[in-house]
Amino acid sequence: MKDRLLMLLFVLVCGTVLTAALVAVDAYTAPMIARNEELKLKRSVLAALHIPFEEATIERTFADNVTVGNAGGTPFYRNAEGIVAFAFTGSGLWGPVRGTLALTPDLGKVSDLTIIHQEETPGLGSRIAERSHLDRFRGRSILPALASVAAGKAAADSDVDAITGATLSSNALVGILNANLAARLPELKEATR
Amino acid sequence: MSSPAALRRPGAQTWGTFLTGVWRDHPIFSQVLGICSSLAVSNRVENAIAMGAGVTFVLLATAVFIAGLRKLIPGRVRMIAYMIIIAAFVIIVDRFLRAFFPPISEQIGPYVGLIITNCILMGRAEAFFITNTVPQSLVDGLANGLGYTMTLVLIAIIREAVGFGTILGMRVMGAGWVNWVVLSMAPGAFFLVSLFIWITRTLAGKDA
Repeated sequence: MKDRLLMLLFVLVCGTVLTAALVAVDAYTAPMIARNEELKLKRSVLAALHIPFEEATIERTFADNVTVGNAGGTPFYRNAEGIVAFAFTGSGLWGPVRGTLALTPDLGKVSDLTIIHQEETPGLGSRIAERSHLDRFRGRSILPALASVAAGKAAADSDVDAITGATLSSNALVGILNANLAARLPELKEATR
Repeated sequence: MSSPAALRRPGAQTWGTFLTGVWRDHPIFSQVLGICSSLAVSNRVENAIAMGAGVTFVLLATAVFIAGLRKLIPGRVRMIAYMIIIAAFVIIVDRFLRAFFPPISEQIGPYVGLIITNCILMGRAEAFFITNTVPQSLVDGLANGLGYTMTLVLIAIIREAVGFGTILGMRVMGAGWVNWVVLSMAPGAFFLVSLFIWITRTLAGKDA
């Protein structure tokens, strides 16, 4: 009996001490982690809006050049030229894809986009996040909807070339953008009118 | 192991413990532990260094706790004790990386949490820390951590150079270099880790 009580006491004490240590570490690092997340978002918005920035002065550049608006309870971002950007998220082929999509002031075309997180196959699907692929979206019409077509086959205004060897990830990215546009476009139109 | 005469001198014993960890009972090629993470995070040198440092830190912290408490830890719950001690320090490493090295945390994120399941930790706790003094356990933890880190970095140097054409992000291959994508993916790690185990086991005379 005494053994069992000691056993219980040991697990209890050990657990309490370690939990206390974890709470302390969490309290110490939580603000820094939150700040890192915020910086990541700001970096992505600035890049999508084509505002040059330096790592050390991201926050000031952001505050000086970006207007944060509210559309349907979710923020959107606007630069001096009226380009509208918002964060998008969805499921890629293998995992979540997150980034920022920027639209021309008339909300009719893609201005640019950036990807801050993706888990596609390294070297294949992961190329959807490379600049050379993202550039294919620039100036494409979002109406009626973006379409992913085989590489080199883009004809209509809303066609985007897929990456050969990464068709499914390319399609997934276009699908994510369309889904996010469908959800946000009405409220963005409302808010930017 | 060292001869009984050598064991009587404390310095020799420490050296023996150290050598056992980094070579004779090397965690990867001799104990064949920690293979999963060495396959997963050895694609870039910086990831390998961060992962190695994380595992080494958790090993050292666990060594202090378990060796320090070894007379108090009740035998029947010792596994649970190892688990909660290891888990606590792994969470600390994860938070630390996320707060101070966000890009690395982004790259190896899920694998940091998986240090908990790295068999090197449970293996050393059960095989060494629970029956040895704190200083000896620290040496053993350090040696195993270094053995693991060195292997990861070595494999990562090859994988990053050939798979991405860079080392620590610096270009090492000429402009015309075509990346061997397979080496930056998991299958490439299987080739290299198995080659590494084959060569080192032959050198160490393990299969003789």
